[in-house]
Amino acid sequence: MAEITDIQNEIIVDEIEEFIERADERERTINTFAKVAPEMQEIAAALIDGDNDGVDEMTKAALESGTEALEIMDDGLIAGMGIVGIKFRENFIFVPEVLACARAMKAGMAYIEPILSASGIDPVGTVIMGTVKGDLHDIGKNLCIMMLRGAGFVVHDLGVDTSDDEFIEAVEEHGAPILGMSALLTTTMPNMGKTIEAFIDEDLREDVKIMVGGAPVTQEFADDMGADGYGKDALECVALAKKFLEEEDEDWDEE
Amino acid sequence: MGTQKQTVGPMTGKERVLAALNREPVDRTPVCNPTSVATVELMDLVDAPFPEANRQPELMARLAATGYTELGFDSIMPVFSIIQESSALGCKIQWEQKDNWPTVRMREPIWEDVDEIKLPADFLTHPDTQCVLDAIKILKKEYGDEVAVIGKTMGPWSLGYHCFGVEPFLLLSLDDPGKTKLALDRMKEATVAFGVAQIEAGADALTLPDHATGDLVSGEYYERYLRDLHTEFVDRIPIPLILHICGRTVDRMEYIAQTGMAAFHYDSKNQPGESMEVVTERISLVGNINNPETLFSKGPEEVRGEVYKNLDSGVQLVGPECAIPLQTAIENLKEIPKAVQDWHQEHAGLN
Repeated sequence: MAEITDIQNEIIVDEIEEFIERADERERTINTFAKVAPEMQEIAAALIDGDNDGVDEMTKAALESGTEALEIMDDGLIAGMGIVGIKFRENFIFVPEVLACARAMKAGMAYIEPILSASGIDPVGTVIMGTVKGDLHDIGKNLCIMMLRGAGFVVHDLGVDTSDDEFIEAVEEHGAPILGMSALLTTTMPNMGKTIEAFIDEDLREDVKIMVGGAPVTQEFADDMGADGYGKDALECVALAKKFLEEEDEDWDEE
Repeated sequence: MGTQKQTVGPMTGKERVLAALNREPVDRTPVCNPTSVATVELMDLVDAPFPEANRQPELMARLAATGYTELGFDSIMPVFSIIQESSALGCKIQWEQKDNWPTVRMREPIWEDVDEIKLPADFLTHPDTQCVLDAIKILKKEYGDEVAVIGKTMGPWSLGYHCFGVEPFLLLSLDDPGKTKLALDRMKEATVAFGVAQIEAGADALTLPDHATGDLVSGEYYERYLRDLHTEFVDRIPIPLILHICGRTVDRMEYIAQTGMAAFHYDSKNQPGESMEVVTERISLVGNINNPETLFSKGPEEVRGEVYKNLDSGVQLVGPECAIPLQTAIENLKEIPKAVQDWHQEHAGLN
C-alpha cells in the first residue's frame, strides 16, 4: 500500500490531507497518485485549481514530450476530477468551482479526444443524458455530465425539454447501455416514468439501464417509476454508471 | 413559543401575517405561502388555468384568491412563477400548459456582458409585469381588509441566472467578482422598480426570491455578493420583505438574519429547530413543509406532523417550503390551517 509521502506534488498532498476524510477514498486516492508521474500530478493539481490555461499548456507540453494521451487523461485529468468530485460532495467547493474545474478538464480533453478517437481506444462507457420533457433546468444534469466525462465516459447530452422519442432515438443511435434523466420541477418528474413506459412500449427496456436524479427526486420515487437507479448527486451518478457497466460485464461473463 | 400570546384578541389574516412578519404577538400562527399555492385542481375549480393565469390579471387574481377562499390561508400570492420580470427584461419564456410552470429559456441568455444590462423603458408596463400589478389591485380591492396580499420581486442573483444563463453567471462570479458585483448592482434596479410598483398597487408584503442556494453556491458567497444588497432592499423597498432561497441554507442564515428583512422563507432541507437557533429573533421564519415528499406524495397525517414540528420550534409563519407542485391534493393543503388551529387549541394557556 502506498503512503502519502510517495506523492511528490505538494498541492495534491495538501488536497488529500485537507479534503479527503473517508478512509477508503483516501487510500484509493493516495494509491492513484503515488504511481502517477510528477508531470501528471501537476496537471491534476492545475485542474483542481480550475486553471484551464495551465491544464491547456501542460497537456500540450506533455503530448509533445511523448506522453501517451491515455496516460494524461487517466493520471492527470480523471485523477484530478476524482478529488474535485469528493470536495463537491462534501461541500468544500460549490458549483462555480466545479464549473471552473470542468472547463479546465475540457481544455485538456480538446487535445486528448482527437488522439483517442483516431486510435480507436474504447471509452469507459457511453451514457445518454437529458432533462425530461417540460423542464428547462440543466445545471444538475450538466454537473453529472462533467463528472461522468471526468471519469472517462462518453456522454451524449440531449439538453433540456427532451421527449420520449428523443431519448429512445439517442439510445438506439449510440447503442448506449445507460440513460440518465434529470428533473428539477415536481411538475415534470412524472415524465421520467412516462419515458420509462415508452422504452417498455418500444420493447427496449431490457437494453438500457435507466438512472434518474434531480432536486425533488427521491429513491422511493425512482423505485415507483421503475428506474434502475437513483443518484442524489453527481458522484452517485458516476458510481451508478460504473455499477451498471460492471453488471453488464458480469452478464457477459455468465453468457 | 415564538410570537403566540393568549392576550391577543381575534385578528384578521392580514393583521396576523403582518404582525408575525414584525415578530409581534398574534392570536395564532398565520398560514402563509409566499411563493405559490396554485394547483390544477384549483385552476379547474375557478376556471383559471395555466398558462393564461400567468398572463391575464383577472385570471391571476381569481386563481390566487383560492389560497384564501378554498384553502383558508392568511395570505394571497398572485405571482405563481418566477418569470414575470424576466419576460419584461426580454428573456424568452416557455409558457407551457396547464400542468406545468412557465420557465425562462436560460439556454438562450439575453446578456453576455455587464454593459448590456439595461432596464427597458416599458419594464413596468410590459404585459407580464403589468399583469401582476393589475392582479394585486384586484385582490386588494376584493380581499384587502381580510388577508395579506403578497407580491413578488425577483432578486438580482436570480435575474442573473435568467438573463446570463446559470453556468455563465456562476463562472463570472468566480472569474471576475468585480464585474459580478457590477452586474448585480445594475440588475437590482429591476428588483427595486418592480417591488415599489407593487407597493403602489397595494401589496402588503413582498417575497424576494434570490436563489443563492446551498445547492449551487457557498454561504460565503451570500455574504460576499448579496448580504449588503439585501440590506439595501430593506431601505429602498419600504414594506415587509420575505427573502426566499430554496435548498440547504442554514450556513447562510446568520448573514440573512443581518439584512433586516422581515422574514426568510426556508426549505425543508433545514430543520426548524436548527434554523430558529441561528436566526434567533432577528428575522421571522416562514415554512417549511416539504413539497415533493409530503404535500405531493403523502397524506394529511404527514402534513400535520410537519406543521406541528414547525410550531413546536416557534416558527412564526407556517406554510409550504416553496411553490407547491401543481398536482398537490387540496386536502393536503387544507390540512395546514386545520393543523395550526388544532395545535393552538392544544397549547391554549401554555404560552
